[in-house]
Amino acid sequence: MLLRLAGLALAAVAAMFAALLVGGTSLSVHDVATSLLHPKTASTTATIVWQLRLPRVCDVAFVGAALAVAGVLLQGLLRNPLVDPYLTGVSAGAAAAIAIALLAGTSVVATPAIGFAAGLGTAVLVAALARRGSGLDTQRLILAGVSLSAFFSAIVALAIFRAQSAGYASAIIAWLAGSPAGRTWHDIAICLPYAALAGVLILPSVPALNVLRIGELQARSAGVDIARTQWLILAAAALLTACSVELAGMIGFVGLIVPHVGRRIVGTDARALLPACALIGIALTVLADAASRTLVAPAELPLGVLLAFVGVPVFLYLYLRGNRNR
Amino acid sequence: MIRVRGVALDIDSRRLLCGLNFDAPTHEIVAIIGPNGVGKTTLLRAIAAQHPVGGGEILVDGANVASFSAVERARRIAFLAADETVGEALAVREVVAAGRYPHHRWWEWREGSDDAAAIAGALAEVGMESFRDRLFSSLSSGERRNVWIALALAQATPVLVLDEPTTHLDVHVAQRMLALLRRLARSGKTVLCALHDLNEAAAYADRIVLLGNGTMRAAGPPEAVLSSSLLDETYATSMERLHLADGTLRVFARSYPPGEAG
Repeated sequence: MLLRLAGLALAAVAAMFAALLVGGTSLSVHDVATSLLHPKTASTTATIVWQLRLPRVCDVAFVGAALAVAGVLLQGLLRNPLVDPYLTGVSAGAAAAIAIALLAGTSVVATPAIGFAAGLGTAVLVAALARRGSGLDTQRLILAGVSLSAFFSAIVALAIFRAQSAGYASAIIAWLAGSPAGRTWHDIAICLPYAALAGVLILPSVPALNVLRIGELQARSAGVDIARTQWLILAAAALLTACSVELAGMIGFVGLIVPHVGRRIVGTDARALLPACALIGIALTVLADAASRTLVAPAELPLGVLLAFVGVPVFLYLYLRGNRNR
Repeated sequence: MIRVRGVALDIDSRRLLCGLNFDAPTHEIVAIIGPNGVGKTTLLRAIAAQHPVGGGEILVDGANVASFSAVERARRIAFLAADETVGEALAVREVVAAGRYPHHRWWEWREGSDDAAAIAGALAEVGMESFRDRLFSSLSSGERRNVWIALALAQATPVLVLDEPTTHLDVHVAQRMLALLRRLARSGKTVLCALHDLNEAAAYADRIVLLGNGTMRAAGPPEAVLSSSLLDETYATSMERLHLADGTLRVFARSYPPGEAG
């Protein structure tokens, strides 16, 4: 197991390094390695690596890890393999708030923060609707998440419709398609404390997540405080998803699919699955972002769109083949 | 020792059972019997603090079960539901290992030697050692039942609350299971279980609690509770009692509806 995790860690680091090589200007392995080792050097290569590519690669790696971990948490909590982090309502709420803000004339620079706040606000609303007793009703959580997401998507559609004449539609659509363009170290620094808080919430939930694999009733009998675990996991997943929304807009697919790939590699034990999925999420998202920057350079493909186009068919092939072989 | 004092139970604001008063002492097996839908499972869940009581109190070793934290409860009471599925691809050993959860603090993620011993011992008790690495989903329903019992044993609690522990088991395995429960009771545990088979209750239970018509009809030793008239009334079926040569009590239905068959 440790060997597999080490292999995944190596793959994630290799993907991040490879992503530093490609872009508008191709850099050699030697140049990138030198720049990384000597950050104070004043050269064009160092500027490209430290000011442009590394922040972006770290941004995307952060998003990949956050969405993958949020996916593992929610799929484990709800015992439903079709759940993805956006079920928390975070992305739909963020999208609607950003669409309205852009329509109202707010600067594009402010959208990540608006998305973060609105996303978390929506997650609280979803949780309030799903509340039953001291815990959460998992069926109701899914229903509330799906319903509110549909409602907010309608607001976004209406905003795009209204915005066409005003010329803001492209900004909204760019956000919906998902892109880390324009994010800096500053954006990553803003998100770090929230991700750290999510980590603090996740740690005490890991053994409980493992016991939940045997079903909620038996897990309760084995001593799992179901209500506390539900709140911890939902809060952690909402924080991580809100961070990803702040750092790259809407990136679908990662939170849904990476947990499935992770289970195939390391099994279902949350102690191994969570780090494994974080690493797979990093490798996958960073490579996809590198491709999105180079395929139609100097233009960029939206990261979310590229991930869906390439990732979904590959996943379906792997997953369906695996199931038939069972 | 479990004490049930004046307990009433509700389901969806509807009163299901009331006036429940009985004890389940240490070293004994107490069987809960009664017709389908009478509330056996709800009563067991209430005793395991998984269903709120509508009145009265349930005490385990003098403490009200409602006052326990989740972990405190799981260290005292192991509850086995009648039917629970596992959606994930888990090995038998992983399922049984879940029983060790209440014996760890949240930061203790690694299994200790006492955990390994408890899991191995529990699997050996139910004769499933050779199944430890098999996928739970590949087992027959009877084998799964054994794994759930092993989980309850791995939990190492003084009280075992089991909902229909012999369901899905063939006669031989069911007898072995009941003998195991009796051995566990004699070794100092309190065993409380719902049973459908009245003869299993007659043969293995030290006490029987008979539920019917929304209340407790009787509680006591099998000879007293399994009287023809009580059973006739509770099950709306004409019941016959028989004592075998070795003195064991057997009960069986004569006809259904009363007086029509035969």
